[in-house]
Amino acid sequence: MINIENLSKYYGSHQVLKGINLQLAAGQVHGIVGENGAGKTTLFKCIAGLEDFEGSIQGDYKPLKNHLGLLPTDPFFFSKITGREYLQLLCNARHLPLPDLDEKNIFDLPLNQYAATYSTGMKKKLALTAILLQQNEVFILDEPFNGVDIQSNMVITEIIQQLRSLGKTLLISSHIFSTLNDTCDRIYLLKDGQFVRQAGRDEFADLEAEMRAFTVGDRVARLGLG
Amino acid sequence: MNPIRHYFQLQFTLLNRHISEFGLVPWLGYVLSVGLFIGLSFFLYYRTEYAPYLLLFGTFGAVLNLGERFRNDFIKTTYKTAECKKIRLLENSIIALPFLIILVVKKDYLAALATMLGAILMAFIQFSRSSNFTLPTPFNRCPFEFAVGFRKTFFFHLLAYFLVFMAITVGNFNLGVFSLILVFMVCLTYYSEMEATYFVWVHAQQPKLFLWNKIKTGLLYSTVLSLPIAVSLILFKPEYTHIIITFQLLGYAYLATFILAKYSAFPKNIGLPQSILLALCFTMPPLLLVAASLFYRQSTRSLQPILP
Repeated sequence: MINIENLSKYYGSHQVLKGINLQLAAGQVHGIVGENGAGKTTLFKCIAGLEDFEGSIQGDYKPLKNHLGLLPTDPFFFSKITGREYLQLLCNARHLPLPDLDEKNIFDLPLNQYAATYSTGMKKKLALTAILLQQNEVFILDEPFNGVDIQSNMVITEIIQQLRSLGKTLLISSHIFSTLNDTCDRIYLLKDGQFVRQAGRDEFADLEAEMRAFTVGDRVARLGLG
Repeated sequence: MNPIRHYFQLQFTLLNRHISEFGLVPWLGYVLSVGLFIGLSFFLYYRTEYAPYLLLFGTFGAVLNLGERFRNDFIKTTYKTAECKKIRLLENSIIALPFLIILVVKKDYLAALATMLGAILMAFIQFSRSSNFTLPTPFNRCPFEFAVGFRKTFFFHLLAYFLVFMAITVGNFNLGVFSLILVFMVCLTYYSEMEATYFVWVHAQQPKLFLWNKIKTGLLYSTVLSLPIAVSLILFKPEYTHIIITFQLLGYAYLATFILAKYSAFPKNIGLPQSILLALCFTMPPLLLVAASLFYRQSTRSLQPILP
């Protein structure tokens, strides 16, 4: 269990997160939805210890970062590093023996090519493979389906479900509601730095309908496309 | 394997790849780099009494690069806290070491101490990414080199303006000229990396017009940054107006040549042949005429397929 209490984050005088309270239970998948700029990535960075914040994050894993696999929206790769070297680096960083990478390369990535030359989806899949090989207990996946082909989307959905069944803690953000629908136990709607709504599995359809009505509104009509 | 050792072995491999892609065998790249660094450092000492400060700034500039936000976040999330600190400390120390050696050899112990302490301190300081503050620039009409570059390097321009103020206050004309050179050198760095092909492709221009517009923008915007210094120096030492104008014109010539050199390698970054020719131009300015015309021909040829 990870318990986030009253988490606030300021950038200068601008408050990005406003007193977030969140309990992340093991063996559950927690989804976060929200518009661009709502504060999802900032929240993830706070949990990962990449940002200072007000409030507290308590959990079973100390320090959390040593048990956390963070998949950023746009993963970082050193210039001229190959996919294989990237996986080796991340395993080695956690003092793990190097597995047979060709066998573990479930997305069939060209591991001997420079990671920087990968497409958006391939970069995401490489970074995801790396944090899976690290045998983390907690996973924060920022837009894991973004730019990924439909076949790999299915594989990622299956991976998330398996991680849940293994008792791992997962926090996911996505702009594609259906992907959260398939994977999450609970979805939180983040708006202007605070959770304005949360829903269990039986309420997902209502939440999606509410978001559609609220978000779309008359915006398209305002374009006057004819 | 020990994670820290593995990290540095990997960095060494990556550096070797960079040197190889630059067209050199790695050992030769290291020998040339060391030679160039020593030569340039001694040249600085020979030309100006401000050499230790320049080396100090050089160290901080290099170390700042390693503290880049995404890179730092990656290291922080990948390694345990203690390992992360060791890695950052070692990286900064390795970068600072050559500067430190030169400063010690030249008996500038205070600057050497500042170099080492600064490098160590910067390994632990988390620069705030805070702010949604956007640094305003006068370069919005023609993005992106100067708008982006200015935001990354504005402190160098502030330093140049401070130096020219000091030059006038203490009556040191050479320092004033140095600040003018500094502004142009910083502007050259705005063209050191090739943009994504898309940002060239979007232009509805043929290569000649594209290059002309790039050069025109570069000259105009470098004037915005350098003119206050040039005018201050002319007012301060009107008898040296011809020298100031010469340096201003040389700055334009180097900038234009640099822009042409950049696109002559399109879509890759500037390689070894361009770098050698540019280095020769710095030692023999008349060579600029040859280099510029050569780079111009190569640039139009390189850009032709994407800007037909």
